[in-house]
Amino acid sequence: MGEMPNASPVALPPNPAAAAELGTAATPTSSADVRDAVRSAAERRAALRLVGRGTWLGAGRPVSATAALRLDGLTGITDYTPGDLTLTARAGTSLAEIATATAAEGQWLALVPWGGDAGSLGATIATASAGPVGGSLGTPRDIVIGVEAVTGTGDVIRGGGRVVKNVAGFDLTRLMVGAWGTLGVVTEVSVRLRALPEHDATLALSVPLTSAAVGDLLAKLRAAPIAPLALELISTGTARHLAVGDSSMLLARIAGNAQLVAAQREALGAVGDVADVPADVWSRLRTIEPGRATLLRLSGPVARFAEMWASAERIAASMPGGLAHASILRAVARVILPQTGEELPSDTLAMLRADSPQTRIFERLPASLWPSLAPTAVSDKLSLGVRAAFDPHRILNPGILGDLRA
Amino acid sequence: MPVANDSTTVPTPTRELAERLAEIVGPRGVLQRPSELVVYRSDGLPGYAKQPQLAVFPRARDELIAIVRLLAERRVPFVPRGAGTGLSGGALADGVVLVGLNRLNRILSIDPVERLAVVEPGVVNVALTRAATPYGLHYAPDPSSQAACTIGGNVAENAGGPHCLKYGVTLNHVRAVTAILPDGEIIRLGNAAGEADGYDLLGAFVGSEGCFGVALDVTVRLSPNPPAVRTLLADFMSIGAAARATSAIIASGIVPAALEMMDGATIRAVEASIYAAGYPVDAEAILLIELDGLAAGMDADTARVKAMCQEAGARTIRIARDEAERARLWQGRKKAFGAMGRVSPHLVVQDAVIPRTRLPEVLASIREIATRHGITICNVFHAGDGNLHPNIGYDANDPDEQARVQTAMREIMATCVAAGGTITGEHGIGLDKLDYMPLIFSDESLAAMCRLREVFDPDRRSNPGKVIPIHSCREWHAAPKAARGV
Repeated sequence: MGEMPNASPVALPPNPAAAAELGTAATPTSSADVRDAVRSAAERRAALRLVGRGTWLGAGRPVSATAALRLDGLTGITDYTPGDLTLTARAGTSLAEIATATAAEGQWLALVPWGGDAGSLGATIATASAGPVGGSLGTPRDIVIGVEAVTGTGDVIRGGGRVVKNVAGFDLTRLMVGAWGTLGVVTEVSVRLRALPEHDATLALSVPLTSAAVGDLLAKLRAAPIAPLALELISTGTARHLAVGDSSMLLARIAGNAQLVAAQREALGAVGDVADVPADVWSRLRTIEPGRATLLRLSGPVARFAEMWASAERIAASMPGGLAHASILRAVARVILPQTGEELPSDTLAMLRADSPQTRIFERLPASLWPSLAPTAVSDKLSLGVRAAFDPHRILNPGILGDLRA
Repeated sequence: MPVANDSTTVPTPTRELAERLAEIVGPRGVLQRPSELVVYRSDGLPGYAKQPQLAVFPRARDELIAIVRLLAERRVPFVPRGAGTGLSGGALADGVVLVGLNRLNRILSIDPVERLAVVEPGVVNVALTRAATPYGLHYAPDPSSQAACTIGGNVAENAGGPHCLKYGVTLNHVRAVTAILPDGEIIRLGNAAGEADGYDLLGAFVGSEGCFGVALDVTVRLSPNPPAVRTLLADFMSIGAAARATSAIIASGIVPAALEMMDGATIRAVEASIYAAGYPVDAEAILLIELDGLAAGMDADTARVKAMCQEAGARTIRIARDEAERARLWQGRKKAFGAMGRVSPHLVVQDAVIPRTRLPEVLASIREIATRHGITICNVFHAGDGNLHPNIGYDANDPDEQARVQTAMREIMATCVAAGGTITGEHGIGLDKLDYMPLIFSDESLAAMCRLREVFDPDRRSNPGKVIPIHSCREWHAAPKAARGV
């Protein structure tokens, strides 16, 4: 176990290279190693930056830490019985490794989050990252069935288990999902799997995406006899970037047995002109964001989806290279703004600062903008209480939820 | 608080508190005489009787708020109770105030566009589905007690039901909750109009068994009614064969809406009751399998399921021809517990979960345990997600039988845990399973759960003594202050 530098806390610069310069506290290969590293840090009140496979280091989140706790050595699938459709893996295991192992058994982990499969299972859970199938097959809180974590006092705790239905005890599992490691270092995760569908097709429908047209499209999709895995609107810029067309369009992923896929294809054909698109459009869309980008999610009521989409497109169009796409089944839009410096163009910034009828969640943002644009969602009494109960010395990723204290 | 033996006398402090509560809810909303409280001494779990100090029944949200605040002011412990159908003793109030929520039964709104409903905690589960029917929607979690149990109770227990196999449990259907904390503060958890950010406190609240506070209103998802449904009844001459069919279907990737198993003893109890569903009485097991979704492809999936059942040794397979036949097949399943009640004075409906590939061997072990202890166990359960309900009919007034039942239960739980499972899939820990918690959770995990509870309820006044064995929390309190970070 390496020694931790005993320096005073510093704000971590928002890029991977600089993060690597932060001293490494430890590179654990087991939960016990993580426990030892956290206990050691807790004794010295030395804050830790948790680093999985590094995919979130460029998010600009203002973490104040003295050392990095690397989790990419904590890898491996520890339990996989295909007949149970459940899998348990150490937190640093990449989604790609899980995808390979499960595909060999005709199964998949239906998380497929935005950002691709390079990230770790632990980080996907800790950040509650969802993707294009989240609206049909669930988000991390629906898919995770058990978690092991090391709290800020070095206690190894477990919530849930390895079975698909479980209400034993208070729900530590849900608590770790989306907590960005601030309630515990996620060390192992159990998830439910699905069988890969017999047939799986992706269709593109060219649709003009004016506000009225989006409303009309939504109504037609709702009435259509379809049960899609994903329905994603992509802006013209996004379509060009993916080389699937020259205008905005709807991507639909339909799956099931042959009859079901054929019937859905026909039903979508009644909504608009359909064309087959290679399935890899999804992985390309999931990894469309450049290494450094500002990334914003808008969400809101279904009834105001068209308005939300218009808003997302407006923000995307406010700077060169801006992209937008939206998951209809979850009523969530994503705006990707390539980041060139520490600032955003003033027009864009003004839009981001303006009041919004939608819920806004930033995934990535220049470090300097976090405090003003993304006020913390964990400053209420209960959230502070939960933090104090699980990480009383605030040594786990302090600041990552915009929760730095003066 | 000691309870007076004389059914007409009530201790002075209780009488005084009852008077204050009656100022909030009116005199008819408070019960304090032991004779009036008898009906609240039990819930769905047999073998336990706990006398509440008194019971109070708010009729409106403001009354509930005033009650919780009065109890907070006086630091009086209380137990929230819905319909009292729970099977783990979670609604038992041992000498404390029982807050009955079943009069808070208004559906506040149904939004067919957002597919959301906002309900008070006392709304009966099936009443919500009935109200949503005109919009082509339903509330998916469907516990067997759905004709009586309340949404508030479902939230407290994170209730399941047969159709949770495909559609998920209560947690997956709750979008937001407004709750009153035991200290009287009103909080809002979740976000019904978009994504939720920050800690998933809603996820923590759902399934907290009344220990984190009381829901004032609950926003739930409503699901569109499936355009097509196929209900199959397959019967087998052995439990093992039915278990193998279950495993095959799950592994195939077809996700049935429900996949239920009943064993021979259960079949015969149902067929001898008014709920007779036409199950073959000479079978050792039946599977009730429901497929739903779009009409397209349904016949192909149905044929595959049929083939897998036949492969596993099904004797006959019947497909419900119409809605009436489907309803009848389901009634036998949902009323099975009631039917078994005819057979014995008391019935324990147990609840455990195992990995689905372990079904054949664990069911064989349960049978062996029953034989060894000379008790009768019948099984009616959610086979598709490995959620077992071994049920034991017995006479709770026979101490010897009671002891054998308890020993057998413990062995069954240990068997399920050893198979990689858990001690409850949908009924909760309550009082009944406190002793089993250390089978699956370490001291550190139990202490973490205590800390979580104390964030919501520092005095542990809401549903005291439930879910976490008290010694687990004491250990934490004995820890040095520095370790607690205060």
